[in-house]
Amino acid sequence: MSAAAERVVVPRRPWRPQRLVVYVLLALVSLLFFVPFLWSISTSFKTLPETAYFSLLPHHWTGAAWSEVWTKYDFGTYIKNSFFLAITITAANVFLAALGGYAFARVRFPGRQLLFLLVLGTLMIPDQLRLIPVYVMLTNWHLIGNFSGYILINLVTAANIFIMRQYFLTIPKDYEEAARLDRAGPFKIFWRIMLPLAGPALAAVTILQFQGTWNDFFWPLIIFGQGNTSHYTVQLALGLFSTQYQTNWPPLMAASIIAILPILLVFVVFQRYFIAGVTAAGVKG
Amino acid sequence: VATTTDTSSVPAQRASRFTAAKLREAGWGYAFVALPMAVFGLFFLYPFAYGIYISFYNWGILGKVNGVGWGNYSALWHDNTFHIALKNIFEYTVVVVPLEMTLGLSTALIVNAKIRGQKFFRAAFYFPALASSAAITTIAIYILNADGLLNRVLGTHRSWFGDPATAIWSIVGLNAWTTSGTIMLMYLAALQAIPTDVYEAAALDNTGGWRTFWRITFPLLKPAHFLILVLFGIGALKLFDQAFIVSGGQGGPDYATYTPVLYIYLKAFHSFQLGVAAAAGVVLFLVIFVLTVVAERTVGRTEAG
Repeated sequence: MSAAAERVVVPRRPWRPQRLVVYVLLALVSLLFFVPFLWSISTSFKTLPETAYFSLLPHHWTGAAWSEVWTKYDFGTYIKNSFFLAITITAANVFLAALGGYAFARVRFPGRQLLFLLVLGTLMIPDQLRLIPVYVMLTNWHLIGNFSGYILINLVTAANIFIMRQYFLTIPKDYEEAARLDRAGPFKIFWRIMLPLAGPALAAVTILQFQGTWNDFFWPLIIFGQGNTSHYTVQLALGLFSTQYQTNWPPLMAASIIAILPILLVFVVFQRYFIAGVTAAGVKG
Repeated sequence: VATTTDTSSVPAQRASRFTAAKLREAGWGYAFVALPMAVFGLFFLYPFAYGIYISFYNWGILGKVNGVGWGNYSALWHDNTFHIALKNIFEYTVVVVPLEMTLGLSTALIVNAKIRGQKFFRAAFYFPALASSAAITTIAIYILNADGLLNRVLGTHRSWFGDPATAIWSIVGLNAWTTSGTIMLMYLAALQAIPTDVYEAAALDNTGGWRTFWRITFPLLKPAHFLILVLFGIGALKLFDQAFIVSGGQGGPDYATYTPVLYIYLKAFHSFQLGVAAAAGVVLFLVIFVLTVVAERTVGRTEAG
């Protein structure tokens, strides 16, 4: 790592053959990061007997595993469930976090600081302490094994409100003051003026929340994992099947790729917002 | 936020309009935060208190049975499997967090260097962090099984997740690989925030790169170290998904992947002892809370290093 550290501190340096070594090394390391994925893609196009052989590419390409995922394992339903939950919860989070974040940043009302501290305090409460009480509450309300139960507990997170608030704080006040002179009400100011200015923060919340819900395993296991499989999400099905069907690798790898693909596409298209979002979420301390 | 208005010097009419506007604004403020606050109250703050309440009861799947005082806590105190879970998670956390931080900082330094293809390498190193725990663990099970790719490469025949000696360390390897990308991005943001004149001074002094890193860069990253240590330390203590999936929800083999959160899950949904499970949740919360305070008191102190 010393070579890397050196390059940080002494930016301009004559080209040396060592550089080539560094690049080759880097390429090898990044290959190491991709190999497991490439291996699983390749396996998903193999037949089960062929997985016993150590070949990078399938000898006989077959889409059998991919169709098995739909026909035998009903992943069509799970994909639909996952998309439904991820889209609904992301929409709710974007709207409520923007609304709350704007109020905490710009609207003056007594008790604002205290309420905001309360919001941040929820970040300290781990899911594991909430698990039993939330489960008991949802059971009493007959919301276990029910999509509304999962949506209800995920309507908005403190982290999202925080990201939105921090962003609204950076927008100059002149915009609102101009609108206020035009006698625009607070909701109109929020909706027509501030929201369109908050694009990057909205994008960060959208991407992070979509990824978070799509990838979630813990709460779907608690809420949908007890009953029949009709409410399973992609991740839940994968997590519960992976040990059960451990030897049937090709469809399992196809399902894993399905579980990763939507987030990968979002990442490729919105990489800039993605990275900004991860950084913003991390700097919330 | 004080909202007192001085009405003595302004005409009464203007004053009342002023306070009316303030009142209206406050009304909107409450309306804006009402729904989020309801969610936090109902699903975070109330469960926090309710969870502590449940931990003092014998609580079955059908609800409250009878109060047991500190009974559930003393059950935990005497339960050997809970001790194993705590021991496992401490060993796991102590190894995985420094490993993740080292990997994350190393890749951040590489990507922050003036190299060609910087964006590509950043994306490559971050790539595994995108994947869900379920998918990445499934792929890991495939690659680490007795007939899998890793054994082919090493020429061995070991079931990495199936052997009590290697199961938890295989999860360490898996999670170090997947989370270092996120840590890299956080370190990268911190590195880019360091003013360049600091380095120019070091260059004038002819300080070597390695020395500059340890004397200047590393100490300047202290806030990032602290933040990452706390965030990912807490994350490690809550290990569940990977342990659940590699062991088929059992924490095996031979309790090798048994973690406190898995203990809570199994106590609640297999033994139906929700009171004991709630007590374990409270204990885990206290452990995390105390360790966070300790980290704040030691690493978090921001005197110049």
